Amino acid sequence: MLRVMSRRGDDRVIWDQQKVLVGDPEATAAVREAERIFALERAKGATAFRVEPGKPIQRMDTFDETAEQIVLVPRVVGG
Amino acid sequence: MFITQQVLTTLGWVVLALAISPMLWLLFQPYFRGLSPAERRASSLLRDMLTAEQCHQLIWRGYLEIPSPSTSQRVYRVPRTKGYVLVIEHGQAVMRLCIQPVECLPDADVVVLHKLMIEANEEYYLQNANKYLCAE
Repeated sequence: MLRVMSRRGDDRVIWDQQKVLVGDPEATAAVREAERIFALERAKGATAFRVEPGKPIQRMDTFDETAEQIVLVPRVVGG
Repeated sequence: MFITQQVLTTLGWVVLALAISPMLWLLFQPYFRGLSPAERRASSLLRDMLTAEQCHQLIWRGYLEIPSPSTSQRVYRVPRTKGYVLVIEHGQAVMRLCIQPVECLPDADVVVLHKLMIEANEEYYLQNANKYLCAE
């Protein structure tokens, strides 16, 4: 799942990795969409994190469809 | 005479209502804001990200303490709503940090943002924050 923080709360793109592996068109389209959003937001300065239960949070520089949950946060600046 | 008294009473109530309405708004605004779909979604993400103890701390103390991954004895105290992040070392407040997203986010999302940045991108977080030393 990809969660993108925005003024609307978080926008989500969800896919089933098992279905992606068997070539399900809907799941594959969802992954492609998530990858597109990931690249777009990263280009705007967003930071991506891999968040998985029981594991330390990791910063991500490249999209990984096998990640259980990716959270994208907007660029931050000193206030 | 009676009419004058009634008018004065009414005016008195109006003045009283005008005086207390900003206070009531300030008091209840967070609850109304929490009803918005954006805040509800952000709160859902926040609950997913925090442990039960962290949720409890945020609700009852109004802040979330995040230990520094790089420096032992350093804790970041993130407020539940907008405000400075306090850096505490050896139990003493040493610095206030001001850092915010370029996009306006619900308060709960801002707490998650601080948590993610501190736990997985602390160096960048500190580089970008404006720092104010705490006076003794």
